Amino acid sequence: MFEESKKDSNYPRELFERLKNSVSLKKEEECFGYCIKPNMWWLIDRPNPKLHELNKIICQTCPYLKKAAAKKRSKCFKQVFNALKKAAQSKALTRFECIQGLHGFIYPILYNAKLYGYIGACYVKKDISPQLLNIFSAFTDTVVKEVQKELELSKLYETVRPRAIALSTVHTVYRLISSTLDLNELLPRIARLSLQIIRANRCSIKLVDAKRKTLLPKATVDLREKKVRLKRVRIGRWAPGKAVKYGRPIRGENYLATPLIDEDVIGVITLYDKVDYKPFTPFDQEIMSTLAEQAVIAIKNAQLYKEQERLTIGAIKSLSTILDTRTPWPYVPRASFLKIALAVGQEMRMDSNELKSLEYASLLHDAGQIVVPDEVLSKPTKLTGKEYEMVKEHPMRGVEILKHIRALKSVMPIIMHHHEKYDGSGYPKGLKKEQIPLGARIMAVIGAFEAMIGKRPYRIQKTIDEALEEIKKNSGTQFDPNVVDIFLKVMERKDIRTMLERELHQPHAAAGRIVLKI
Amino acid sequence: MNLEKMLKSKIHRKVVLFFHENQTSIDTPRGIATWIREDRLRVLRALEDLAKEEILVAHRATSTTGYSYTRNSRLIAKINRLLNKKSS
Repeated sequence: MFEESKKDSNYPRELFERLKNSVSLKKEEECFGYCIKPNMWWLIDRPNPKLHELNKIICQTCPYLKKAAAKKRSKCFKQVFNALKKAAQSKALTRFECIQGLHGFIYPILYNAKLYGYIGACYVKKDISPQLLNIFSAFTDTVVKEVQKELELSKLYETVRPRAIALSTVHTVYRLISSTLDLNELLPRIARLSLQIIRANRCSIKLVDAKRKTLLPKATVDLREKKVRLKRVRIGRWAPGKAVKYGRPIRGENYLATPLIDEDVIGVITLYDKVDYKPFTPFDQEIMSTLAEQAVIAIKNAQLYKEQERLTIGAIKSLSTILDTRTPWPYVPRASFLKIALAVGQEMRMDSNELKSLEYASLLHDAGQIVVPDEVLSKPTKLTGKEYEMVKEHPMRGVEILKHIRALKSVMPIIMHHHEKYDGSGYPKGLKKEQIPLGARIMAVIGAFEAMIGKRPYRIQKTIDEALEEIKKNSGTQFDPNVVDIFLKVMERKDIRTMLERELHQPHAAAGRIVLKI
Repeated sequence: MNLEKMLKSKIHRKVVLFFHENQTSIDTPRGIATWIREDRLRVLRALEDLAKEEILVAHRATSTTGYSYTRNSRLIAKINRLLNKKSS
């Protein structure tokens, strides 16, 4: 409101500034000056000029008045002053006689029927015809309107541009925060962006722990201190606690706490200390409220995604356990193989989605074995041709079983091709080299290693080192040599080796399956 | 690239001027290209140069990158001096 009235009070000054510099008005002066030959033009930038102001304006330009006696000067002013009054009343062009035998006229500058000032000419030696004055009036009217329109446009631009830039900022922030579903990445990002758009030094995001009635610190970014203390706050205490309790922003000189409101208050974003040491303003509050609305959506999405992911992995683990109970060979050290698979994937610079697929695949790659009869899987002697065909079908059967779970779509190629061989002699499609998906090439090595060190009815169990030797021997034929190199490197890691050995020597590992035939 | 040298390039100067005047802004290359009326790809190159020199901060996300002004007050004061010197 204050800003608006300040702008309005600037309007006449800006209007006259523009009129003074208007090319059209200068051309008009030239053109009419040629016809009526006045000695001076003047522009009065207020509706009710005082006599001394008028004196100043006219004295500065009128060559006659500079030299004239005081009496004559006073008479001239009086004429001009009366003409101004008349023009203000009639709101139309007014003629007058300035000094004996010389003429002048005054044109009132109006906008929406409000008088802002005057354009005048005097010291005209011959009388000016009404027709010429009509033309002057119409022309000036057009010029003034043109200048007024220009000014309005410029004011509109000045008002709209910062708002449009602010809106664009809000839109960009929304795009930036909605592009991640990882809460650990999202919350610091919201904090950093809040600091940037409000130009504050510190931002803290706290989420509500409904059970304990406290706010848990989730992300704090302080641009001045390297060390950041993460403090719990009780709901109702301090600015963040109050913002959550009352569900509205709490603003002080050096803090601004904005609640994150979904159906209920889920947290609070608190900013401290502006960079320019100025207090937080209502505009900051408005911007932060908009940002908080967007942040809530992003946080809720991330929380839902995490929940869904937890459900998916839970379902996959349950499924994997069910499948394990179905296979006739003993306990498989899943945790170790999972760790090995992920370590190899990370070394091969797989992104987070690819790693997730690899994780799921390592739990489910042999799901198709559920349709292979127990007698075939546990047969200690060589399989017949028909039996081998049944075993060869298990990758495809696995895909058929799992294809209905949409979350596993990216896992399917790994399950389908994890028995392909690097030289093309594998199954089911006989793919070779890079035709085989990377995840499947990794799974082929891990799967073979798993089978060699695990107890199988059809082969003698190998030690870890014997199995590694066997893998090395088949590098470039059965397995991708790059994957083998990285796998061997990973297997040199002490933590992995220890974990695998511990799992292999657990009592249930020696005894056989855990839950199988209970 | 030196800051003074960088401000000699018209496009770099326009980008810096935009952020200097709108210090709370965060925008995409497309947005900034619209505000300063320049080609998006040229703006993108300038933004990356300026981010490398830490005059701008690049907020990178998978779908886009948002750029914002430095918060280094000394650097801002230096830019202010250079921009004023240039315009005078």
